[in-house]
Amino acid sequence: MPPLTFVLLALWLAGPVVSLAADLEAGRRKAVSCAACHGPDGNSTNPTVPSIAGQVGIYLHWQLLLYRDKRRVDPQMAPIAAALSEGDMADLSAFFAAQRPAPPTAAPPDPARAGTGQRLAETYHCNDCHGRDFAGREYAPRLRGLSREYLVAQMRGFKARTRGDLDGAMTQAAQPVADADIEPLADYIGSIK
Amino acid sequence: MRLSPFRYALALTVVVAFVLATGLVAAQQAPPTWKQGQPKEMESSTLSPIAQPPAPKAPGEIPVDKIKVPQGFKVELWASGINNARVMTWGDRGTLFVSSRVAGNVYAVTDKGGSREVKTIAKGLNLPNGVAFKDGTLYIAEIHRITKMEGIEGKLDSPPEMKVVYETLPKDAPHGWKYLAFGPDGKLYFNIGAPCNICIPPDTHANISRVNADGTGFEYWAHGVRNSVGFDWHPVTKELYFTTHARDWLGEDVPSDRLDVAPKKGLHFGYPYCHQGDIPDPQFHSGRACGEFAAPLIKTGPHVAGNGVEFYTGSMFPAEYKNRMFLAQRGSWNRSQKIGFRVMMVTLRQGDVPKYEPFAEGWLQGDQVWGRPVYTRQMKDGSLLISDDYAGAIYRVSYGR
Repeated sequence: MPPLTFVLLALWLAGPVVSLAADLEAGRRKAVSCAACHGPDGNSTNPTVPSIAGQVGIYLHWQLLLYRDKRRVDPQMAPIAAALSEGDMADLSAFFAAQRPAPPTAAPPDPARAGTGQRLAETYHCNDCHGRDFAGREYAPRLRGLSREYLVAQMRGFKARTRGDLDGAMTQAAQPVADADIEPLADYIGSIK
Repeated sequence: MRLSPFRYALALTVVVAFVLATGLVAAQQAPPTWKQGQPKEMESSTLSPIAQPPAPKAPGEIPVDKIKVPQGFKVELWASGINNARVMTWGDRGTLFVSSRVAGNVYAVTDKGGSREVKTIAKGLNLPNGVAFKDGTLYIAEIHRITKMEGIEGKLDSPPEMKVVYETLPKDAPHGWKYLAFGPDGKLYFNIGAPCNICIPPDTHANISRVNADGTGFEYWAHGVRNSVGFDWHPVTKELYFTTHARDWLGEDVPSDRLDVAPKKGLHFGYPYCHQGDIPDPQFHSGRACGEFAAPLIKTGPHVAGNGVEFYTGSMFPAEYKNRMFLAQRGSWNRSQKIGFRVMMVTLRQGDVPKYEPFAEGWLQGDQVWGRPVYTRQMKDGSLLISDDYAGAIYRVSYGR
């Protein structure tokens, strides 16, 4: 492995910037009220609510800001985010980023459909930003472990330009995705072990 | 067996039709903007844009002492806690208005003698990088529109509504964020960047444009400009000087970003056909020669990401600083050895090439980035503010006292 790759990998493993200033223990205490929907450790059992265990910390923090500022619209998250201080957001993001994601519970799609989904992921360059194996990178969320239902809803929202987006990158990426391709993509990504 | 051309074509057609019918070939879509134009041999590159932190750094996490400036100058942390702080512009009554990009906010910073108070006066905006102020009114440029807040300085706690000035603008996110400034002619100048890393852009993109302050009279000023998010006018000649971010993935050391001068309307600066005045684009040159286009005044360096441009007109700094340009360079991502993360200065010289040298550096320590200088703004007393969108801070550079 060339030295630079190693340095970048080490930086990446060292975790996102927010975790440095954030307080994990405070995050654990503040996360109690999130459990009702997202699960105690951020592993959601409700397919319409995303699992946030092991999600990229920077991403989680930005999403809370987007909800607060009404750039991402959701009737449940809006009042919650509005009541959080920026310090709360940092602590919560760091806490959930540090939790272990549970493996997906969805039954894997049949091999032909999974193959279609995998090919579509290549066609639309999903891994360029979301990382190999969809584990996420600093500027793009982890998609592994998200439910099929949630993934479909987000993709449709991005395509319709109604899903809040930090810099417009995902809204742009979703435009060429055919409606018929969204479900096989979600089947595939949602079932990755 | 040799096939006749007709039979060969027929066989090919049958094969293509079969492949299409069975869906074996899905049309490959364009990659994300930052990765677009990456050649095959660089596919395994780990380079990618630096993620924007969601929160500003606390004052204790900002190592101001690492910023090096020339002898006799001093740097201090002037304001902090300004998430994603970008362009700075002064109100008539001494309020500093500060934009952001992905944070979606516009801030008002007021000096409370020894400390600064930061208020968010607008939020949830669409990458509101551009702010300019004139006659009591703050103008804000988002990707898709320019708006104004009248009488804002008297209403910082209950900001007035944002009235639309101009909104016939492309909505593309890539390079769609704008710098905004009043020219000496009283018109509002802004950029419309290329909606890609490298492509043949639509005629409506890759330019610097202008409108009257009331939104009438739109026209293009400069063409072939990939992404300029910083410009200023020479205090004496009144000519427009601007920086441009060059395309990515052509190599570690090419193409160079550039500083240009556009003294008249209608010049073409080469994008996408020619980079840095002398490198035809390997894919998009379209047979155009570099000599057809305006050459850069200075090649400012590969991937340095030049943003702010400002002529110094104050009297605090030594006399030779008068009419020098400060260039804030936010720093590279598309280069294994990081470069930029500094403020450069340019001295224009009659009949000679401009002098180009560092003014402030130290945000990059080895391979570690702790801050990214993006814009400068001179204070009334002649000191210089530098914004840092990565640390969410503003520094003040003063001389002598």
